[in-house]
Amino acid sequence: MTTNEAKQKLLLYRGAMDDADPQFQDALAQARRDPELGEWLREQVDCYKAIRSKLRETEPSGDLAQKIIRQRPVPFRRDWTQMLKLAAAIIISVGLTAVAVNWWQRAWQPNAAEREVTVKGEVLDMTCYIAYNMSGPEHAADARECIRKGLPVGIKGEDGKVYLLTGPPKHSVNEELADYAAQIVTIKGKETARDGFAQIQVEEIRKF
Amino acid sequence: MSADPEFEQLVKLYYRDLYRFGLSLTASEADACDLAQETFYVWANKRDQLKKPAKVKTWLFTTLYRKFLQRRRHETRFKDEPIDQGFSELPAVPADCVNRIDARTLLSFLEKLDPTYRAPLVLYYLEDLSYNEIAATLEIPLGTVQSRIGRAKLKLLQMLNEAAVMPKK
Repeated sequence: MTTNEAKQKLLLYRGAMDDADPQFQDALAQARRDPELGEWLREQVDCYKAIRSKLRETEPSGDLAQKIIRQRPVPFRRDWTQMLKLAAAIIISVGLTAVAVNWWQRAWQPNAAEREVTVKGEVLDMTCYIAYNMSGPEHAADARECIRKGLPVGIKGEDGKVYLLTGPPKHSVNEELADYAAQIVTIKGKETARDGFAQIQVEEIRKF
Repeated sequence: MSADPEFEQLVKLYYRDLYRFGLSLTASEADACDLAQETFYVWANKRDQLKKPAKVKTWLFTTLYRKFLQRRRHETRFKDEPIDQGFSELPAVPADCVNRIDARTLLSFLEKLDPTYRAPLVLYYLEDLSYNEIAATLEIPLGTVQSRIGRAKLKLLQMLNEAAVMPKK
Protein backbone atom coordinates (compact mmCIF):
# COMPACT_ATOMS: atom_id res chain seq x y z
CA MET A 1 0.00 0.00 0.00
CA THR A 2 1.43 3.38 -0.96
CA THR A 3 1.51 6.23 1.52
CA ASN A 4 -1.22 8.04 -0.42
CA GLU A 5 -3.44 4.93 -0.37
CA ALA A 6 -2.88 4.63 3.37
CA LYS A 7 -3.86 8.29 3.80
CA GLN A 8 -7.04 7.70 1.78
CA LYS A 9 -7.94 4.85 4.12
CA LEU A 10 -7.05 6.77 7.26
CA LEU A 11 -8.96 9.87 6.23
CA LEU A 12 -11.97 8.63 8.21
CA TYR A 13 -9.99 7.41 11.22
CA ARG A 14 -11.12 9.21 14.36
CA GLY A 15 -8.72 7.87 16.97
CA ALA A 16 -9.20 5.27 19.67
CA MET A 17 -12.88 4.70 18.93
CA ASP A 18 -11.99 3.34 15.45
CA ASP A 19 -9.06 1.20 16.58
CA ALA A 20 -11.07 -2.00 16.45
CA ASP A 21 -12.47 -1.30 12.98
CA PRO A 22 -10.87 -3.83 10.57
CA GLN A 23 -10.89 -1.39 7.64
CA PHE A 24 -8.15 0.71 9.31
CA GLN A 25 -5.88 -2.09 10.55
CA ASP A 26 -3.43 -2.33 7.63
CA ALA A 27 -3.10 1.43 7.23
CA LEU A 28 -2.61 1.91 10.99
CA ALA A 29 0.12 -0.72 11.00
CA GLN A 30 1.81 1.13 8.15
CA ALA A 31 1.53 4.43 10.03
CA ARG A 32 3.35 2.86 12.97
CA ARG A 33 6.21 1.88 10.68
CA ASP A 34 6.32 5.12 8.64
CA PRO A 35 7.16 8.20 10.75
CA GLU A 36 5.98 10.62 8.08
CA LEU A 37 2.62 8.86 7.72
CA GLY A 38 2.41 8.62 11.52
CA GLU A 39 2.90 12.37 11.84
CA TRP A 40 0.25 13.02 9.16
CA LEU A 41 -2.16 10.70 11.03
CA ARG A 42 -1.57 12.49 14.33
CA GLU A 43 -2.30 15.78 12.61
CA GLN A 44 -5.50 14.35 11.10
CA VAL A 45 -6.71 13.04 14.44
CA ASP A 46 -5.89 16.33 16.18
CA CYS A 47 -7.80 18.18 13.47
CA TYR A 48 -10.74 15.78 13.93
CA LYS A 49 -10.76 16.41 17.68
CA ALA A 50 -10.50 20.18 17.20
CA ILE A 51 -13.48 20.24 14.80
CA ARG A 52 -15.47 17.94 17.09
CA SER A 53 -14.70 20.11 20.09
CA LYS A 54 -15.60 23.27 18.17
CA LEU A 55 -18.95 21.83 17.05
CA ARG A 56 -19.73 20.72 20.59
CA GLU A 57 -19.22 24.27 21.83
CA THR A 58 -22.67 25.17 20.56
CA GLU A 59 -25.24 24.95 23.31
CA PRO A 60 -29.00 25.27 23.09
CA SER A 61 -30.71 28.01 25.04
CA GLY A 62 -31.01 27.24 28.73
CA ASP A 63 -34.68 26.36 28.85
CA LEU A 64 -34.94 24.11 25.78
CA ALA A 65 -35.09 20.92 27.82
CA GLN A 66 -37.72 22.39 30.16
CA LYS A 67 -39.72 23.72 27.22
CA ILE A 68 -39.75 20.26 25.58
CA ILE A 69 -40.75 18.58 28.83
CA ARG A 70 -43.40 21.22 29.59
CA GLN A 71 -45.09 20.90 26.22
CA ARG A 72 -44.91 17.13 26.10
CA PRO A 73 -47.93 15.61 24.36
CA VAL A 74 -49.96 13.08 26.29
CA PRO A 75 -50.32 10.18 23.87
CA PHE A 76 -53.49 8.20 23.49
CA ARG A 77 -52.53 4.73 24.62
CA ARG A 78 -54.24 1.97 22.68
CA ASP A 79 -55.30 -0.32 25.49
CA TRP A 80 -57.43 -2.81 23.59
CA THR A 81 -59.02 -4.26 26.74
CA GLN A 82 -60.19 -0.79 27.73
CA MET A 83 -61.35 -0.05 24.17
CA LEU A 84 -63.41 -3.27 24.08
CA LYS A 85 -64.96 -2.42 27.45
CA LEU A 86 -65.80 1.04 26.17
CA ALA A 87 -67.32 -0.35 22.96
CA ALA A 88 -69.43 -2.83 24.95
CA ALA A 89 -70.59 -0.04 27.26
CA ILE A 90 -71.61 2.10 24.27
CA ILE A 91 -73.52 -0.76 22.62
CA ILE A 92 -75.35 -1.65 25.85
CA SER A 93 -76.12 2.00 26.53
CA VAL A 94 -77.50 2.58 23.01
CA GLY A 95 -79.55 -0.63 23.23
CA LEU A 96 -81.06 0.29 26.59
CA THR A 97 -81.83 3.80 25.37
CA ALA A 98 -83.59 2.43 22.28
CA VAL A 99 -85.68 0.01 24.37
CA ALA A 100 -86.57 2.77 26.84
CA VAL A 101 -87.59 5.21 24.10
CA ASN A 102 -89.69 2.55 22.42
CA TRP A 103 -91.39 1.63 25.69
CA TRP A 104 -92.02 5.30 26.51
CA GLN A 105 -93.55 5.92 23.12
CA ARG A 106 -95.85 2.92 23.52
CA ALA A 107 -96.83 3.61 27.11
CA TRP A 108 -96.96 7.36 27.40
CA GLN A 109 -97.33 8.76 23.94
CA PRO A 110 -100.41 7.10 22.44
CA ASN A 111 -101.29 10.25 20.56
CA ALA A 112 -97.84 11.01 19.24
CA ALA A 113 -99.06 11.48 15.65
CA GLU A 114 -102.42 12.96 16.54
CA ARG A 115 -104.28 15.04 13.93
CA GLU A 116 -107.77 16.47 13.45
CA VAL A 117 -109.90 14.57 10.90
CA THR A 118 -113.44 14.46 9.63
CA VAL A 119 -114.61 11.09 8.34
CA LYS A 120 -117.91 10.32 6.70
CA GLY A 121 -119.08 6.70 6.64
CA GLU A 122 -121.07 3.83 8.12
CA VAL A 123 -121.06 3.16 11.87
CA LEU A 124 -119.89 -0.41 12.47
CA ASP A 125 -120.20 -3.00 15.17
CA MET A 126 -116.49 -3.81 14.97
CA THR A 127 -116.74 -7.29 16.46
CA CYS A 128 -119.23 -8.56 13.91
CA TYR A 129 -117.60 -6.64 11.08
CA ILE A 130 -114.08 -7.93 11.66
CA ALA A 131 -115.06 -11.43 12.72
CA TYR A 132 -117.93 -12.07 10.29
CA ASN A 133 -117.87 -9.20 7.80
CA MET A 134 -121.38 -8.19 8.85
CA SER A 135 -122.50 -4.61 8.19
CA GLY A 136 -125.23 -2.63 6.40
CA PRO A 137 -128.97 -2.12 7.09
CA GLU A 138 -129.73 -5.85 7.45
CA HIS A 139 -127.35 -6.01 10.41
CA ALA A 140 -128.45 -2.70 11.96
CA ALA A 141 -130.47 -4.17 14.83
CA ASP A 142 -127.75 -6.57 15.90
CA ALA A 143 -125.11 -3.92 15.53
CA ARG A 144 -127.10 -1.45 17.67
CA GLU A 145 -127.41 -4.16 20.34
CA CYS A 146 -123.74 -5.03 20.33
CA ILE A 147 -122.66 -1.38 20.43
CA ARG A 148 -124.99 -0.59 23.24
CA LYS A 149 -123.55 -3.52 25.20
CA GLY A 150 -120.14 -1.95 24.96
CA LEU A 151 -118.49 -3.92 22.14
CA PRO A 152 -116.06 -1.91 20.03
CA VAL A 153 -117.61 0.58 17.62
CA GLY A 154 -116.06 1.86 14.43
CA ILE A 155 -116.64 3.72 11.20
CA LYS A 156 -115.87 2.71 7.64
CA GLY A 157 -115.01 5.80 5.60
CA GLU A 158 -115.98 6.41 2.02
CA ASP A 159 -112.46 5.50 1.01
CA GLY A 160 -112.88 2.05 2.65
CA LYS A 161 -110.61 2.76 5.60
CA VAL A 162 -111.92 1.55 8.97
CA TYR A 163 -111.34 3.43 12.25
CA LEU A 164 -112.02 2.37 15.82
CA LEU A 165 -114.08 5.09 17.54
CA THR A 166 -113.26 5.99 21.11
CA GLY A 167 -114.13 8.73 23.55
CA PRO A 168 -111.92 10.73 25.83
CA PRO A 169 -110.10 8.67 28.52
CA LYS A 170 -112.57 6.83 30.78
CA HIS A 171 -115.52 7.94 28.67
CA SER A 172 -117.30 5.61 26.25
CA VAL A 173 -119.03 6.89 23.12
CA ASN A 174 -120.95 3.64 22.59
CA GLU A 175 -124.21 4.98 23.98
CA GLU A 176 -124.11 8.03 21.69
CA LEU A 177 -123.26 5.96 18.63
CA ALA A 178 -125.59 2.97 19.21
CA ASP A 179 -128.53 4.78 17.61
CA TYR A 180 -126.47 5.38 14.48
CA ALA A 181 -125.48 1.71 13.99
CA ALA A 182 -125.27 0.86 10.25
CA GLN A 183 -126.14 4.48 9.37
CA ILE A 184 -124.03 7.05 7.52
CA VAL A 185 -122.68 9.76 9.84
CA THR A 186 -119.86 12.30 9.87
CA ILE A 187 -117.39 11.96 12.74
CA LYS A 188 -115.04 14.74 13.66
CA GLY A 189 -112.16 14.04 16.05
CA LYS A 190 -108.48 13.30 16.60
CA GLU A 191 -106.99 10.55 14.55
CA THR A 192 -104.20 8.48 16.06
CA ALA A 193 -102.65 5.14 15.35
CA ARG A 194 -101.29 2.40 17.52
CA ASP A 195 -99.35 -0.50 16.07
CA GLY A 196 -100.74 0.40 12.67
CA PHE A 197 -104.38 0.41 13.78
CA ALA A 198 -106.27 3.69 13.11
CA GLN A 199 -108.61 5.17 15.66
CA ILE A 200 -110.54 8.40 16.13
CA GLN A 201 -111.24 10.01 19.48
CA VAL A 202 -114.71 11.33 18.77
CA GLU A 203 -115.41 15.03 19.38
CA GLU A 204 -118.54 15.53 17.23
CA ILE A 205 -121.11 13.25 15.59
CA ARG A 206 -123.29 14.56 12.79
CA LYS A 207 -126.01 12.61 11.13
CA PHE A 208 -125.65 12.72 7.42
CA MET B 1 -49.88 17.38 33.31
CA SER B 2 -48.57 14.37 35.17
CA ALA B 3 -44.83 13.75 35.23
CA ASP B 4 -43.20 11.34 32.83
CA PRO B 5 -39.79 10.47 34.28
CA GLU B 6 -38.79 8.33 31.27
CA PHE B 7 -39.49 11.19 28.87
CA GLU B 8 -37.70 13.75 31.04
CA GLN B 9 -34.66 11.51 31.41
CA LEU B 10 -34.46 10.99 27.66
CA VAL B 11 -34.76 14.72 26.96
CA LYS B 12 -32.03 15.58 29.45
CA LEU B 13 -29.79 12.88 28.00
CA TYR B 14 -30.07 13.75 24.32
CA TYR B 15 -31.46 17.24 23.80
CA ARG B 16 -28.03 18.82 23.42
CA ASP B 17 -26.85 16.26 20.88
CA LEU B 18 -30.04 16.52 18.88
CA TYR B 19 -29.91 20.30 18.99
CA ARG B 20 -26.34 20.32 17.69
CA PHE B 21 -27.21 17.90 14.92
CA GLY B 22 -30.23 20.03 14.00
CA LEU B 23 -28.15 23.21 14.13
CA SER B 24 -25.53 21.69 11.85
CA LEU B 25 -28.20 20.68 9.37
CA THR B 26 -30.24 23.87 9.36
CA ALA B 27 -27.77 26.55 10.50
CA SER B 28 -30.69 28.02 12.44
CA GLU B 29 -31.02 27.94 16.21
CA ALA B 30 -34.82 28.20 16.06
CA ASP B 31 -35.10 25.40 13.52
CA ALA B 32 -32.70 23.25 15.53
CA CYS B 33 -34.85 23.73 18.67
CA ASP B 34 -38.01 22.91 16.71
CA LEU B 35 -36.47 19.77 15.22
CA ALA B 36 -35.27 18.56 18.61
CA GLN B 37 -38.68 19.24 20.12
CA GLU B 38 -40.58 17.50 17.30
CA THR B 39 -38.26 14.51 17.57
CA PHE B 40 -38.98 14.01 21.25
CA TYR B 41 -42.71 14.36 20.65
CA VAL B 42 -42.60 11.68 17.96
CA TRP B 43 -40.88 9.45 20.49
CA ALA B 44 -43.52 10.28 23.13
CA ASN B 45 -46.26 9.16 20.76
CA LYS B 46 -44.50 6.10 19.41
CA ARG B 47 -42.47 4.83 22.30
CA ASP B 48 -44.58 1.68 22.53
CA GLN B 49 -43.72 0.82 18.94
CA LEU B 50 -39.99 1.18 19.47
CA LYS B 51 -38.91 -2.45 19.34
CA LYS B 52 -35.36 -2.03 20.60
CA PRO B 53 -35.06 0.47 23.44
CA ALA B 54 -31.27 0.10 23.28
CA LYS B 55 -31.36 1.74 19.84
CA VAL B 56 -33.17 4.83 21.08
CA LYS B 57 -30.26 7.18 20.31
CA THR B 58 -30.02 6.05 16.69
CA TRP B 59 -33.82 6.21 16.45
CA LEU B 60 -33.86 9.81 17.70
CA PHE B 61 -31.24 10.93 15.20
CA THR B 62 -33.02 9.12 12.37
CA THR B 63 -36.28 10.81 13.30
CA LEU B 64 -34.70 14.25 13.45
CA TYR B 65 -33.06 13.70 10.07
CA ARG B 66 -36.39 12.59 8.55
CA LYS B 67 -38.08 15.66 10.00
CA PHE B 68 -35.35 17.80 8.50
CA LEU B 69 -35.80 16.18 5.06
CA GLN B 70 -39.57 16.66 5.28
CA ARG B 71 -39.13 20.36 5.98
CA ARG B 72 -36.60 20.68 3.24
CA ARG B 73 -39.03 19.26 0.69
CA HIS B 74 -41.46 22.03 1.55
CA GLU B 75 -38.87 24.75 1.17
CA THR B 76 -37.08 26.05 -1.90
CA ARG B 77 -34.95 23.23 -3.15
CA PHE B 78 -31.27 23.55 -2.58
CA LYS B 79 -28.99 23.62 -5.54
CA ASP B 80 -27.44 20.17 -5.33
CA GLU B 81 -23.80 20.70 -6.12
CA PRO B 82 -21.81 17.49 -5.91
CA ILE B 83 -18.58 17.77 -4.03
CA ASP B 84 -15.50 17.82 -6.25
CA GLN B 85 -13.83 14.50 -6.44
CA GLY B 86 -10.22 13.61 -6.93
CA PHE B 87 -8.12 15.85 -4.72
CA SER B 88 -4.60 15.54 -5.97
CA GLU B 89 -3.34 15.95 -2.41
CA LEU B 90 -5.14 15.38 0.84
CA PRO B 91 -5.29 18.76 2.55
CA ALA B 92 -3.51 18.90 5.87
CA VAL B 93 -5.14 21.21 8.39
CA PRO B 94 -3.34 21.78 11.69
CA ALA B 95 -5.60 21.75 14.73
CA ASP B 96 -4.43 25.32 15.44
CA CYS B 97 -6.19 26.50 12.27
CA VAL B 98 -9.43 25.03 13.55
CA ASN B 99 -8.96 26.50 16.99
CA ARG B 100 -8.55 29.98 15.54
CA ILE B 101 -12.05 30.03 14.05
CA ASP B 102 -15.27 30.17 16.04
CA ALA B 103 -18.07 27.63 16.03
CA ARG B 104 -20.34 29.87 13.98
CA THR B 105 -17.79 30.09 11.16
CA LEU B 106 -17.42 26.33 11.23
CA LEU B 107 -21.20 25.97 10.99
CA SER B 108 -21.23 28.36 8.03
CA PHE B 109 -18.73 26.07 6.26
CA LEU B 110 -20.93 23.07 6.94
CA GLU B 111 -23.89 24.97 5.59
CA LYS B 112 -22.15 25.17 2.22
CA LEU B 113 -22.26 21.40 1.92
CA ASP B 114 -25.28 19.69 0.46
CA PRO B 115 -27.39 18.19 3.29
CA THR B 116 -26.89 14.67 1.96
CA TYR B 117 -23.17 15.14 2.67
CA ARG B 118 -23.58 17.40 5.69
CA ALA B 119 -25.67 14.96 7.75
CA PRO B 120 -23.19 12.04 7.77
CA LEU B 121 -20.27 14.40 8.30
CA VAL B 122 -21.90 16.01 11.34
CA LEU B 123 -22.72 12.62 12.86
CA TYR B 124 -19.11 11.60 12.16
CA TYR B 125 -17.79 14.57 14.12
CA LEU B 126 -20.42 15.03 16.79
CA GLU B 127 -21.56 11.61 17.89
CA ASP B 128 -19.71 8.54 18.95
CA LEU B 129 -21.54 6.43 16.40
CA SER B 130 -19.93 3.67 14.41
CA TYR B 131 -20.15 3.87 10.63
CA ASN B 132 -22.81 1.17 10.71
CA GLU B 133 -24.83 3.23 13.18
CA ILE B 134 -24.49 6.35 11.03
CA ALA B 135 -25.68 4.33 8.03
CA ALA B 136 -28.64 3.03 10.04
CA THR B 137 -29.46 6.50 11.30
CA LEU B 138 -29.53 8.03 7.84
CA GLU B 139 -30.98 4.89 6.27
CA ILE B 140 -28.35 4.65 3.54
CA PRO B 141 -25.79 1.91 2.76
CA LEU B 142 -22.52 1.76 4.67
CA GLY B 143 -20.41 2.31 1.56
CA THR B 144 -22.38 5.41 0.65
CA VAL B 145 -21.96 6.79 4.16
CA GLN B 146 -18.18 6.38 4.11
CA SER B 147 -17.92 7.82 0.63
CA ARG B 148 -20.03 10.85 1.56
CA ILE B 149 -18.13 11.45 4.80
CA GLY B 150 -14.80 11.22 2.97
CA ARG B 151 -15.79 13.65 0.24
CA ALA B 152 -17.48 16.06 2.63
CA LYS B 153 -14.52 16.00 4.97
CA LEU B 154 -12.13 16.85 2.15
CA LYS B 155 -14.36 19.75 1.16
CA LEU B 156 -14.52 21.01 4.74
CA LEU B 157 -10.75 20.74 5.17
CA GLN B 158 -10.30 22.65 1.94
CA MET B 159 -12.53 25.46 3.25
CA LEU B 160 -10.63 25.50 6.54
CA ASN B 161 -7.33 25.73 4.63
CA GLU B 162 -8.60 28.66 2.59
CA ALA B 163 -9.81 30.40 5.74
CA ALA B 164 -6.38 29.86 7.34
CA VAL B 165 -4.46 31.55 4.52
CA MET B 166 -6.92 34.47 4.16
CA PRO B 167 -6.03 37.57 6.15
CA LYS B 168 -8.42 38.17 9.03
CA LYS B 169 -10.65 41.20 8.48
